[in-house]
Amino acid sequence: MQRRSLLKLGLVSGAVLALAGGAAVLLQPGLEQGRLAPGARVLFASLGRAILQGTLPAEPGAQARAVQGLVERIDALAQNLPAHVQAELSQLVGLLCTAPGRWGLAGLAPGWDEASADEVRAALDGMRFSGLALRQQAYHALHEIVGGAYFSDEATWKAMGYPGPMVL
Amino acid sequence: MSNFPDPIREGLQRGWKVRGGAHGALPEKITCDVAIVGSGAGAGITAELLTRAGLSVVIVEEGPLKSSGDFRQHEAEAYPALYQESASRKTEDKAISILQGRCVGGSTTVNWTSSFRTPPPTLRHWQAHFGLQDFGVETLAPYFEQAERRLHVSPWQVAPNENNDLLRKGALQLGIPVGSIRRNVKGCWNLGSCGMGCPTNAKQSMLVTTIPAALDKGATLLVETRAEQFVLAGGKVQSLRCVAVDANGRARDAGRATTIVAQHFVLSGGAINSPAVLLRSKAPDPHQRLGTRTFLHPVVMSAAVMEQAVEGWAGAPQSIYTDHYLETQPIDGPMGFKLEAPPLHPVIMATSMPGHGPGQADMLAQFPRTHVLLALLRDGFHEQSPGGRVKLRGDGSAVLDYPLTDFVMEGGRRALLAMAELQFAAGAQQVLPVHEMGKPMDSWAQAKAAIEQLPMKPLLTKVVSAHVMGGCGLGGDEKLGVVRPDGVHWQVENLSVHDGSLFPTSVGANPQLSIYGIVNRLAQGLAQRLTGQSQVQPLA
Repeated sequence: MQRRSLLKLGLVSGAVLALAGGAAVLLQPGLEQGRLAPGARVLFASLGRAILQGTLPAEPGAQARAVQGLVERIDALAQNLPAHVQAELSQLVGLLCTAPGRWGLAGLAPGWDEASADEVRAALDGMRFSGLALRQQAYHALHEIVGGAYFSDEATWKAMGYPGPMVL
Repeated sequence: MSNFPDPIREGLQRGWKVRGGAHGALPEKITCDVAIVGSGAGAGITAELLTRAGLSVVIVEEGPLKSSGDFRQHEAEAYPALYQESASRKTEDKAISILQGRCVGGSTTVNWTSSFRTPPPTLRHWQAHFGLQDFGVETLAPYFEQAERRLHVSPWQVAPNENNDLLRKGALQLGIPVGSIRRNVKGCWNLGSCGMGCPTNAKQSMLVTTIPAALDKGATLLVETRAEQFVLAGGKVQSLRCVAVDANGRARDAGRATTIVAQHFVLSGGAINSPAVLLRSKAPDPHQRLGTRTFLHPVVMSAAVMEQAVEGWAGAPQSIYTDHYLETQPIDGPMGFKLEAPPLHPVIMATSMPGHGPGQADMLAQFPRTHVLLALLRDGFHEQSPGGRVKLRGDGSAVLDYPLTDFVMEGGRRALLAMAELQFAAGAQQVLPVHEMGKPMDSWAQAKAAIEQLPMKPLLTKVVSAHVMGGCGLGGDEKLGVVRPDGVHWQVENLSVHDGSLFPTSVGANPQLSIYGIVNRLAQGLAQRLTGQSQVQPLA
């Protein structure tokens, strides 16, 4: 994707490219035909492990399966979003999947796959309490997608004490 | 497979004229007496009245036709299928999350059944400031009565669930009056799944009342069809251009248009959507009113943990309210608010409650003992509360720019204080103002001090809305509004607006009954003018 067309799409990428000094950065879109690109899957797996730390099953095998399920549900959720939301999400995720974007927007130095859950959570707090509205907006988008997708699966309700709907 | 009869499937089997989506290809052109954009509160009332008066009606709905057989009480199914933008429509700065329906029946298919007539102070304000002399309490009363009879608005006789009863208990302790909320339900099972579509058809939404009545009288319903724009010439709508859309709102069939030609057009797409259609149509707007004065009843929330089970997912979602914080201050002073309780389900909890990691995990694990209150801020009555403005994006889609000003946010602070005080009075162990910097507090004194220090800024304070109002406001003269007191557009003689975008201010109460009652009157007037009959068959 050319930088010029990215800047036309919205505020997020232009400002963040400026933040990241990303003059030479060529972005891969985070969504391809509404589906998560491979880098996006790595990103959301990492975010899932961080945001849902304490909620995810503790046992490593079960946790890995839960995270895998989360990523699949995010993939499905993204396809239902209207075009303008998909475009914004694609930019946001595409940026976060580059080193300058990850640093500039999320404040995270290690790659998503290498960073620990605690490091990712510290980065999330940096976005959440940032003086820059677009970093806060990015935080809320990621928090909502991860939480919304995770708890849309019945298997996650037990941890919340929710018995499911009454059977009619 | 549902054990309940599905009135929609039965109607389709009886031969209802429905096109779009799986119901068959859209025709290239349709001619009728009246075309109605939308199928929600205003559209349903209008469609029933006009078909009863003998007019041929086409209803154009952007969302799908879903019914009780589809409603399995799962958020993951309901939000993408029945709501605008998968239930996460946002204002332009992303600071407010909006719940609005997008399906046959509109927001009435997914609302929580709360039924309040337009409060008298609101009507008096409209009379005084918007030239709407005919909008008095007594004048409108018969139209409200008809709507209440038609939609079975009735006192809720079942005991409130604990989530609602805690509002009552806390208010009682503080000496604050509460009331019981009337609901548009018949034979309700007290499930609490109203927001996901009523699986028993007890909720008397447009989906199971007025739309079937209109279809039984020969109306045509186009679903998964978006009204793109009116073609205007000579101060009149010449036609309405529509396109087939898929579940994400993308145009289908290479954007091939369906043209609707009618004698009169009624716009009932709801706030945000109706102004957007007029913006796309480049409708005349000589006084720059279109899309402005869009209101949201911005909501802030307070979450408490109780010793006892609350189980806020079960039972009628809203059965108790207090207007104390509206009635004890002037309507045009600092922003007042109405207190109610929302239904609680996993996805809405996880996405509304702030935080991440172990802290949020602990909070979510306490879900069964969590009690939440919400405050509906009464926007639109003060000069520092002018609301928001609807704009179009490059692709023609609608976006609401609603700045959360200090005036609104100070109202939010007072609401957080009021809710915390009430929750402790009801016996809360812990209260958390729903704010990124909120921490659970153990006492009212502690919570008061903390809330007074919170930076009440957008994107830190969680603000949501389930009531979108205004943008095509009623006005006694063309400088005061987009439409005349009879609902007809000031500059376009064969176009009416019949939906929540009519309101010149926020309502100050859950808006569905205001739409039913007011549109009842407007639609009866329209039916009379179009048929030449001096009286038309009333709603009930």
